[in-house]
Amino acid sequence: MAAGLKDMPERALSAQLQATFSASKADPVRLAAFERFQKTGLPHRRVEGWRWSDLNAALRDFVPANDGVSPIPPSKFSALDPVEIQIVNGRIIRPTGTLPAGLHLDVIPASATIPDLEGNSVVSLTVAMITEALEIRVDAGVKLGQPILVRHIMQCGTMAFVQVAAHLGDGAEATIIETYEDIGAGQGGFYSSLFHSDICAGATLKRRMLQNTNADAVVHAMFAANLAGGAHLNQVGLSTGGRLSRHETLAQYVGSEASAELSSAALVDASRHADFTSKILHAASGCQTRQIHKGVARDKGRAVFQGKFDVQRVAQQTDAQMSADALLLSDTSEAYHKPELEIYADDVQCAHGSTSGALDDDAMFYLRQRGLDEEMARSLLIEAFLGEVIDNLEEGEAPVFRDAIALWLKGQGA
Amino acid sequence: MLKIDNLHARVEGDAGVVEILKGLSLGVPAGEVHAIMGPNGSGKSTLSHIIAGRDDYEVTAGSVNLSGEEILDLDPNERAAKGVFLSFQHPMEIPGVATMNFIRTALNAQRKARGEAEVSAADFLRLIREKTKLVGLTDEKLKRPFNVGFSGGEKKRMEMLQMAIFEPRFCIMDETDSGLDIDALKMVGDVVNSLRGPDRGFLVITHYQRLLEHIRPDHVHVLAGGRIVKSGGPELAAELEKSGYDQFIEAA
Repeated sequence: MAAGLKDMPERALSAQLQATFSASKADPVRLAAFERFQKTGLPHRRVEGWRWSDLNAALRDFVPANDGVSPIPPSKFSALDPVEIQIVNGRIIRPTGTLPAGLHLDVIPASATIPDLEGNSVVSLTVAMITEALEIRVDAGVKLGQPILVRHIMQCGTMAFVQVAAHLGDGAEATIIETYEDIGAGQGGFYSSLFHSDICAGATLKRRMLQNTNADAVVHAMFAANLAGGAHLNQVGLSTGGRLSRHETLAQYVGSEASAELSSAALVDASRHADFTSKILHAASGCQTRQIHKGVARDKGRAVFQGKFDVQRVAQQTDAQMSADALLLSDTSEAYHKPELEIYADDVQCAHGSTSGALDDDAMFYLRQRGLDEEMARSLLIEAFLGEVIDNLEEGEAPVFRDAIALWLKGQGA
Repeated sequence: MLKIDNLHARVEGDAGVVEILKGLSLGVPAGEVHAIMGPNGSGKSTLSHIIAGRDDYEVTAGSVNLSGEEILDLDPNERAAKGVFLSFQHPMEIPGVATMNFIRTALNAQRKARGEAEVSAADFLRLIREKTKLVGLTDEKLKRPFNVGFSGGEKKRMEMLQMAIFEPRFCIMDETDSGLDIDALKMVGDVVNSLRGPDRGFLVITHYQRLLEHIRPDHVHVLAGGRIVKSGGPELAAELEKSGYDQFIEAA
């Protein structure tokens, strides 16, 4: 049913993928991944889980440009004094200078750390195309004060594939901020990243993700996490979308008493699209998941949320809650929410809820009666709608996200 | 100061178009407090919302004039900047909106629209502390999202807090007394009496005479069937308390 590479020989993209792959010396793992990708091609709307995010269509006319060089502006997170790693068009640039004690950054051969995500053909493609990966290791017991900033930077119009692997030892604590940005004057681009992490016993990973790219950019970011006993994942993501953007989280509790707080926001205007898809696999007892998602769409923007809690038979005393709310600011904007529970254990507390609606007329009138003009009142209510997501950020991180929201509200999202 | 002339208004609901105001005329000179009393469904809240600029109602005839200026074509925020304040009968809870930030933003938006300088953060803090004490709210309440988890009485105190801070030229109080205990009623009276002055007018909408013992009105009007059917001095309120509204429902 899928349009495999062989079925679309006319495409510039497929020719380039084939050429890029052939030029590198592929090991068996990458070869197998490329074969898997070739069988199915890019996911499209008739593939389960991709109904509202047709990656194949988004890249139909995409012709990858040669990558160029443009100056890279300082990160909006610079004020946090992060350990900064730039990945420019897929090339990993390690920071100069001394790293904090207990933190190790290395560039390693990619195939050494590839996780098993064979069902996803974009992941297969990414695995096939990359030759090296960024490895972040935090030693057991080390609590990093400085955040690690991974900047995914694409030259507009180029194509890039990236892999990051993180390992947090027992009891370690770290914050990893990822930004998806673009440089250069062009439009478009295709960027696919694969981030796999192991969060060992009692360790805490705080992941922040902010995507702010051009309106024609296509971004696919897969984040996978294995949580050992007592481990904790705290994640906040915000995307203003692109021609298509998909941020996928695949978390797995392999040890008991682990927990995750996941919050995300999609802000889409013009004809932009932003998809947050997640699957949390509860495969150990006593784990707790809290997930909130907020989608705001105006113009012809499309916000997608697909969240799934999978609770296996062994995962007794699971406590998992999910909520997804959409705010539609125009008649032509769209939000698609698909919350799902699949539960095989009997002693669990699981709940999900989803709402969608327009701005509240009564609240608008109240604010305007107090002197706020229409735009101010609207902005205040949208910021309030997104408040729960921002509340999960640390001091210092929140202003950067708030600025991104404020820019979007002014129609200058990217 | 406020002059309403032959106001007709209707609303389109599930049951079709309903005429609510049917030729209402009313004048509140500067420096005076007027009370509007009347049975349920007589159009009291509609009147307050139309003066404040809610666009759910269609004004089909008449005018509303504030200090010589027609205001029916102005946006709600423009009316607010000109000094129209509505104390809501059912104040909103607005989750996620920080109370102090909102009130300061609103105050400065009004001032900016009038060409006045913004109030500094320090001056605002001083002002809100002082007025918070006056209306009997705790500082802790100011740190909560706007009205979230507040009791009915606390929400009314929050309305009075904003009225005390904005110092509007014309205050409309839509059943501010409903759901208030004796102490809170006295507080409302204190806020109104502290604001009373030659340049300010009040329109106090109420069902009961209780509040009018704390706020002595200059005139009392009875609104029934979309029109003012009787006007008089403060003694009219006491009379209504005894005789009820039935006579007016029939008359209307």
